[in-house]
Amino acid sequence: MTERDFLCLTPFLIIAIAPVVIMIVISILRNYRVVYGFSVLSLLAAFGSIFFILPSVPHTIEPLFIIDGYSMFFLGIIIISALLVTLLSYDYIKQLDGVKEEYYIIIFTSTLGASLLAVANHFVLFFLGIETLSISLYILIAFQRSKSNSIEAGIKYLILASVSSAFLLFGMALTYTAFGTMQFGAIVAALVIHDPLSTLVLSGFGMMMVGIGFKLALVPFHMWTPDVYQGAPAPVSAYIATVSKGAVMAILIRFFFILRGFNNHYLFFAISGIAILSMFVGNILAIRQKNIKRLLGYSSIANMGYLTIILLTGSNKGVQASIFYLISYFFTTIGAFGVISLLSTCEFEAEKIEDFKGLFWKRPWIAIVFTLSLLSLAGIPLTAGFIAKFYVILEGMKAGLMVLIISMIINSVIGLYYYLRIITTLFSTASEAKLPELSLIGNITLALIGISILVLGIYPGWLIDIIVRFVTL
Amino acid sequence: MLTVPVETQILFAGVIFFLGLIGLLVRRNMIFMLMSIEIMFNAAGLVFIIAGTHWNQPDGQVMFIFILAVTAVEVSIALALILQVYHHFKTLDSDAVNNLKDSN
Repeated sequence: MTERDFLCLTPFLIIAIAPVVIMIVISILRNYRVVYGFSVLSLLAAFGSIFFILPSVPHTIEPLFIIDGYSMFFLGIIIISALLVTLLSYDYIKQLDGVKEEYYIIIFTSTLGASLLAVANHFVLFFLGIETLSISLYILIAFQRSKSNSIEAGIKYLILASVSSAFLLFGMALTYTAFGTMQFGAIVAALVIHDPLSTLVLSGFGMMMVGIGFKLALVPFHMWTPDVYQGAPAPVSAYIATVSKGAVMAILIRFFFILRGFNNHYLFFAISGIAILSMFVGNILAIRQKNIKRLLGYSSIANMGYLTIILLTGSNKGVQASIFYLISYFFTTIGAFGVISLLSTCEFEAEKIEDFKGLFWKRPWIAIVFTLSLLSLAGIPLTAGFIAKFYVILEGMKAGLMVLIISMIINSVIGLYYYLRIITTLFSTASEAKLPELSLIGNITLALIGISILVLGIYPGWLIDIIVRFVTL
Repeated sequence: MLTVPVETQILFAGVIFFLGLIGLLVRRNMIFMLMSIEIMFNAAGLVFIIAGTHWNQPDGQVMFIFILAVTAVEVSIALALILQVYHHFKTLDSDAVNNLKDSN
């Protein structure tokens, strides 16, 4: 490896070394604040190092890594959302009994797995990234050992995620058997020579789709989502909804675009079907939910359905739209789950819609951020969600995907119903329930998220310019 | 030496994989479900070795070593979680561990 290779891997090295340092620190002195401060600083350093290495991209480290503008952008989004989740975890994790400093170690290992997915150019890194991510998630989900819900969600996720990983792995193995290479670029070269529709290739890609579809919670592989979102600690639910899904989306988009999968009729119809089903099933099941965490789980299924449209546009503009969509979705989802985790205490998880009754009259500031997040999820103008949806619809129209776009619009209307139902609850007359005091860190983070949602909604031009400048695939 | 065609080898690994899947769907005890998942992983690893031999590359076996490492980690965490499940639910029956569901 050359010096430049190491330079380009700086963010990964920082994320990999930080948990080791935390482990050593914990063994000497167990202090929650020190570990927390160190985690936040390391994530900031990892984010800063991205700007530091920007002059040396694009760069490939044969055969595993591909470090280009696209992967740097995804890396940035992943680190920022991990940082926001860490900031919002402070109070929630602090009040747990038993060991809690280890939470931040696992956050780092899962972020490492997620960021490897953004730069993977080879099946080995693809598999290792996805496993590092999901094995860390098993622990994070079951982190509240005293709660049976948390343990149940953990074991459910563990069994289903391992089965999906096995499918993914078998699919990779079949693809490798067909082409004799595991590198994405070389697979494309081999695809030209081989018959692309041989049983081996089709079953390989099909099984990989099962694995990836599960990680993204696309219908019909979505059953785990509401249960896991409900059982996991609220910051962890935010982490699954954003970092884990975003990273898998990053590698899916890269793999699909390198393969030019949208030119294959079978894949095109299969993915259109999955996208339409995800939108409808996610939104229709969300309507009757009384538990906000489950509701957000179903809404994330629908959101991944919208995002799948991008795969079929087959244009650079589509990829840029998907990145804007992911950024707005990340801020919005972390905002919504952040409110839940700030209002939850050890004994009481604020997750039912009634728990939020009259929140506006008791905690106006928090209620406004929550309202903004929900409006953004629904895609109301002046919020980031509107611009993101508009961008995706625009690119879909250009590619002529009318059926998909029409079902996306129908589903946005269905979504409006259940998001607005929560908002009306926020502003109804207050109940007697007592709310916990909020910390300074939580307040500042929520304020930042609220401001970002508004800024991206009112003045999105600068971000789109940056995306267009750096991201091509 | 008798050479077996690569299709037959893949088919053999595929049969093992689906035996694992069937075991997972039929068994209700979590330890057995975990063992079925291991069978599925190892079947996938077997395909990597078959493909590596077929293409005369070391890649397949390298991948198998990675798979071994990953499954070892996975099993250790799974067993720890299963202990916790037993602690909370006093059973390892996966049907009994179902408090989280849609309530209407």
